[in-house]
Amino acid sequence: MVAVTADTEVLVAQRYSVGSTRAAVTVVAAWHLGYDLPVMVLGWSAYRWPWLALAAWLLYTLIGVAASPALLNPARRLPLGPWPLAAAVLALDAAVIVACRPEDVLSPANWAWGSVGWLAIILFWPRRSWPVDLGVFFAGNAVVMLAGMAAADALDRTSISKFLVVLVGSITLQAGGSAGAHGFDLAARWAADSSRILARAEAAQQAAEQVHADRLRRYAQARQAAAAVLTQLAAGADPADPAVRHACAVGAARLRRLIAETDDTPNPLLHTLRACAFDIERRGVVVNLLTVGAVPPLPLEIRRAVIEAPLEAMARARTQARVTLVATANQVIISVLSDAEAFAVPVADGVTVATQVAPKTEGGLLWIESCWTGP
Amino acid sequence: MDRELLDRPVTLAVVEDLPVVIEGMRSWVAQDPHQRVEIVASGNTLEAVLAGAGADADVLLLDLELNGVLMIGRIPELAAQGRRVVVYSVHEDEETILTVLKAGAVTFISKNETADHCLDTILAAAGDRPYVTPTMAGALVVADARTTRPMLSAREREALLLWFQGMNKQSVATRMGISEATVKQYIERARIKYASTGRAAPTKTTLLARAIQDGLITPDDIIEYQSLAAEGGSH
Repeated sequence: MVAVTADTEVLVAQRYSVGSTRAAVTVVAAWHLGYDLPVMVLGWSAYRWPWLALAAWLLYTLIGVAASPALLNPARRLPLGPWPLAAAVLALDAAVIVACRPEDVLSPANWAWGSVGWLAIILFWPRRSWPVDLGVFFAGNAVVMLAGMAAADALDRTSISKFLVVLVGSITLQAGGSAGAHGFDLAARWAADSSRILARAEAAQQAAEQVHADRLRRYAQARQAAAAVLTQLAAGADPADPAVRHACAVGAARLRRLIAETDDTPNPLLHTLRACAFDIERRGVVVNLLTVGAVPPLPLEIRRAVIEAPLEAMARARTQARVTLVATANQVIISVLSDAEAFAVPVADGVTVATQVAPKTEGGLLWIESCWTGP
Repeated sequence: MDRELLDRPVTLAVVEDLPVVIEGMRSWVAQDPHQRVEIVASGNTLEAVLAGAGADADVLLLDLELNGVLMIGRIPELAAQGRRVVVYSVHEDEETILTVLKAGAVTFISKNETADHCLDTILAAAGDRPYVTPTMAGALVVADARTTRPMLSAREREALLLWFQGMNKQSVATRMGISEATVKQYIERARIKYASTGRAAPTKTTLLARAIQDGLITPDDIIEYQSLAAEGGSH
């Protein structure tokens, strides 16, 4: 649930990002088609070499078309990189200036120098250093234009004023547009980041609550396993009494099972059985544990139900126990043949797990078997 | 063979790389009040044992792992020579047991049960009669459950299971409400059913022939078992 929320936030942020880049591409395309093209066609007579102006317009289009997919899809890279393309843009800028008659260098027919800034915006868009890059580009553009004006002998006051108006106007529009779109993008990322942090905090809290609940549950189980015998001992029960000793052994075996059953092992049932066998071995019981077959994956409740009675038989064994586990795809049978005294066998649910006992008269040993049969 | 067996002890060759185990085996053989078995050769390689008096022993007791090398690959040639190979090992997982039986060994004893079953197994093997150790019984139960057409009847399976779980045959009989002889028959018949799977060997043929002679199975049963084996029914 939490993970889904975080993903959604990231998705929203990505959509905002894509939205702002799409807006930038649209502005460039609209400007180039809606302004540059008409002024070039209408001012066709103002050019010395009109075909050079047209070629510059086409080169602008080509660079724009090449740069846009790289911007809209971050997986694609800009061919040649931004600066070589930016240099080409400044070159086409110069070409349009050269194409104009000297007297028309400040007319609308010289469309390029006011328009190339838009193209530069999308070239430098993904770079962290985009403000510096744009600043350098704008300065380069201004130098190219001033050089063109000088060549056309148009450095008079009126021309310089026109130059400054167009320059400041275009830079204000272009830099402002870029800053706005980038800011929009940044805000979306911040929003996504903060909701991710929030989601992570929520997940951590949920995990902590889960751990706490698990601890309480395990405490209750441990209490159930050992409280009765501990109470007996506290009340002065004699540890030499065999009944008390058996109760202690059974309590210890249950605690052992609780510890072993949640260990992360490929075969938790066998792992639990081995842990219990190891424990009774340590108190001097000769244990022979044999297993055949591969145990199918079983839920914890079933593992617990099928191991409960054999576990108690093992815990009550005095000197010897033969423990066997037979597993097939849909059956798991655990048996214990031991010299334990007969005891009240824990009741299995009888549906998935059935427990049988053979009295000690058969061969002098107590036989107990728990069998889980799958669906 | 039976007449001969009455006349002289069963001869046994032991291939084992641990001298202490050979000594243990000698002491079990010596403790038998009827002196039914005599160890005629022992050594730590097959070649050494078969070169001398072991060449004509009635039974060859083979430790599955000699100096760290598994001997499974050598069993087929021994079986083909008509040797009654009894394999004993600490490797008691069902895969090993079934592989050993398929390769042509007449029976398998786990090292943890050797003391109880060793002499019985050797005597049964020498007489070409099936003997199923409890460990082997567990392997047969699991192997049968894996086949698409199980060979064991429900009662045979129950008898094998209780035998694997450690009951003696009298207890199994009481538990199942049948005679001890019937329990023995169920368990031995289960072994015979699996004798017809895997590689053909003179020892297996003798085992099957003997089982028919003893009335454990009928010749018709064998045809059925072999058709099961032919379709790869053991796995």
